[in-house]
Amino acid sequence: MQRPATGDTAFERFVLPEIEVLLRVANSLTRNHAEAEDLVQDTLIRAYRGIDGFDGRHPRAWLLTILRNTHINRNRRRRPELLRDPDAAFDRLAAAPSDDEADATVDHELDVEIVRALDELDDRFRRVIELVDVDGLSYAEAAEVLAVPVGTVMSRLHRARSRIRDRLDRAGLAPRSHM
Amino acid sequence: MPGNHVKAWIMKLFGRAPATDAMDCHEVGALLQHYLDGHIDAERARRIEEHLDDCRRCGMEAETYERIKVTLAAHRPEVPPESVERLRAFGERLARGEDPSTP
Repeated sequence: MQRPATGDTAFERFVLPEIEVLLRVANSLTRNHAEAEDLVQDTLIRAYRGIDGFDGRHPRAWLLTILRNTHINRNRRRRPELLRDPDAAFDRLAAAPSDDEADATVDHELDVEIVRALDELDDRFRRVIELVDVDGLSYAEAAEVLAVPVGTVMSRLHRARSRIRDRLDRAGLAPRSHM
Repeated sequence: MPGNHVKAWIMKLFGRAPATDAMDCHEVGALLQHYLDGHIDAERARRIEEHLDDCRRCGMEAETYERIKVTLAAHRPEVPPESVERLRAFGERLARGEDPSTP
């Protein structure tokens, strides 16, 4: 697997700094650490093979596209939803250290309700929230991962947040917005 | 509108003259999510902030959405550092033209 020095430099410069973001997004897509690590490994191999054709602009977006396609290909051989643990986010939160103060208890209730609401969203809404609000991707980067237009990311994101907000309202946990 | 004129006059009287370019609730509602995501220019952000300071209802709405955003970001799952290390070593072996699967 000998490569010219220029290709190696581009790979090191554009790809290696994005490994953590790729792993974060892979975790959101697979909801399974081992699966996510395998997915990123396959993505790195594909990126290495394709680095000569990459123009150097928006490396994260380029890599996220490779990650998404790799994920789709891997899923053709597997049923990923069987691996998905719907309680994972809730368990993470429940395991968080608790605070004894009364204010913190109310805050904790609110946090639990928010994460529960996230887990109960339809997949297409949950995904976009996880990518933008949890993983910290931009609208454009999330659009790459989901293979949808940026406008779709925005509208799904806003509707998803509004559903979470409505749930807080119903649980009496949102500040009252009516005068 | 005469109503607005009277309101502006009263606010001026109490030393709180509204900016002439202040946004209304409808405009702020349409831009709130973009504002919270930082996808908005500084000038419009300033006008939104002015409205949020003055309007209790919009201020609370913004506060709720901000809380949702902050909570979700705070529960970002830890990426295991050993996974990142393994993948980085894998990538470096690839970059050197070595077989990446055998450390």
